[in-house]
Amino acid sequence: MNREAWSAVAETAKIAVEDPRSLVPGAPDLEPIVKTEDLWKVYRSGALDVPALRGVAMEVLPGEFVAIMGPSGCGKSTLLHVIGGLAQATRGRVLLDGNDLSEMTDAGRTKLRRHKVGFVFQRFNLLPTLDARGNIAIAQHIHGDGFDPHRFDVVTHMLGLAGRLRHRPAELSGGEQQRVAIARAIINEPKILLADEPTGNLDTKNSESVLHMLRQLNQQLGQTTILITHNPEAAAFAHRVLHMRDGQIVDSIPAD
Amino acid sequence: MIGELVWRNTLHRPLRTLVSIVAVGVEVSLILLIVGLTHGMLREVAKRIEGVGADIMVQPPSASMFLAFSGAPMPVSIGARIADLPHVKAVAPVLVQLSSSGGLDVVYGIDPSSFDAVSNGFVYLQGHRLESPDDVLVDDWYARARNLKAGDTLHLLGHNFHVAGVVEHGKGARVFVQLKTLAQLTGSPDKAALFYVKCDVPGQTALVSKEIGQLLPRYQIRPIREFLSLMTATNVPGLNTFVRSMIALAAAIGFLVIFLSMYTTIIERTRDIGILKSLGASKAYIVRALLGETALVCAAGIVTGILMSYGASLLMRELFPTLTILITPGWILRAMGLAIGAGLAGATYPAWLASRKDPVEALAYE
Repeated sequence: MNREAWSAVAETAKIAVEDPRSLVPGAPDLEPIVKTEDLWKVYRSGALDVPALRGVAMEVLPGEFVAIMGPSGCGKSTLLHVIGGLAQATRGRVLLDGNDLSEMTDAGRTKLRRHKVGFVFQRFNLLPTLDARGNIAIAQHIHGDGFDPHRFDVVTHMLGLAGRLRHRPAELSGGEQQRVAIARAIINEPKILLADEPTGNLDTKNSESVLHMLRQLNQQLGQTTILITHNPEAAAFAHRVLHMRDGQIVDSIPAD
Repeated sequence: MIGELVWRNTLHRPLRTLVSIVAVGVEVSLILLIVGLTHGMLREVAKRIEGVGADIMVQPPSASMFLAFSGAPMPVSIGARIADLPHVKAVAPVLVQLSSSGGLDVVYGIDPSSFDAVSNGFVYLQGHRLESPDDVLVDDWYARARNLKAGDTLHLLGHNFHVAGVVEHGKGARVFVQLKTLAQLTGSPDKAALFYVKCDVPGQTALVSKEIGQLLPRYQIRPIREFLSLMTATNVPGLNTFVRSMIALAAAIGFLVIFLSMYTTIIERTRDIGILKSLGASKAYIVRALLGETALVCAAGIVTGILMSYGASLLMRELFPTLTILITPGWILRAMGLAIGAGLAGATYPAWLASRKDPVEALAYE
């Protein structure tokens, strides 16, 4: 995508985000980009069935920044994995940009992940043998459109990584590693960015920096984002907060 | 990009990579050296027999093509009857004996005059022809291997011989003694294991062979060219099986080392595989990355193996001058194919396992 097209996307998304109707679930003129219906995920532990998700129903609209909060073990990460196609739901439906993940094969979900989902993890999950540049470029390579130097430059400058690209993960600070992970996640312009406790391994300063970046991406580029967090201060960066308990969403409220 | 990933991953564990490369190198060099030694020795023996300059070889019925394994059941007097046939220029009776003192060597017992008549004589680098019963001639390779020169004493077949001369290699054997002396030492008086026959015109070989066949029915009468064509590993009982077993063993080494290396690699890189899956890498992409790494290791191993083979060949030539190792482009290509095949086969199962890893479990791997 060239600079003009990229700017146009950013502008369109900005308008959508600024439209207050887009923040309201069920807004009449917007189709949700993520929709789950009666979503169950049951793990087998020996002879026991352990339900991690118990009939989750939720919607996320394009351009929304949604935080999911809840105690440990309530199913937040499992929900994120199922929405992102990393795990298969036991029952129920997940619609991601109109695609029903529950009907898809593993190969189909892999393809969907490649083209429509970006992940950011608590432990950064960078490939240790590649430098920062390689970690970002490999996402473009897997995406299949080849290396786009303009897009690469825009993203790395936006995330303040230009001077650190030749460093390997072990040579970067936690904050820098997470910024590389964010760059890798958004380099292919995914429909949705799924961030699983992205500040969990960062100090306060770096946490704030990462959260500001996520909000900036949402506000400037219209990047739809789902953020899993324990931290109410992190959740405050989102438009809306969903609370989970025992595998269910118990409420959905606008963030402060 | 996948090339960079493969390259970086290969360098990530240098010792493991080095061990894998050396293992593939050993596999390749084992194949090249065993095949090279087998083919080299056979070719060298064939060249020496060809170097005698005879046109026909006469052996008793049921004699082995391995001259040293044949007994000596033919009376030397048969030679005179062969010599009387039309178009026969010379006949040389030869007694063949295997000596195991200080290595396996074939000793020819010859009548110097008739052998010279067939072979046009030796090229003497030192000394003189066989004169006394205790004289021995050795070729230059044998002399170099045993550090011998004319005038030295050589203990052979339980007898002390006087080294009469050192001759240029390539005339049937490496060691020559008088026919009568060898006959006495082996208890085969007036017997010969074979006759080399020289025709007056080379084009008469078929005719002379036919005449000898009529004179000595059931004897083995072979034109030298036909005999040389039989000097292959296929015609040596058990040799092909031995060579194939060694090749299979070498390929098994390559297979097992690569299997183990890639298996430990995918366990160590479980989380990396999860990361690639989270980015949307297909199973084929992950298999390709791991097989690419294997191919790179195999390529480096092949180069190492070829260099090791030539190095070992040079070393063996210095240590054992009578050994010949023949490394041919054809067998280099076959060894390369076997190394790549065994390596990729060894990596296939680990790569398949990696491609099937559950991404969530892989990402949680410590």
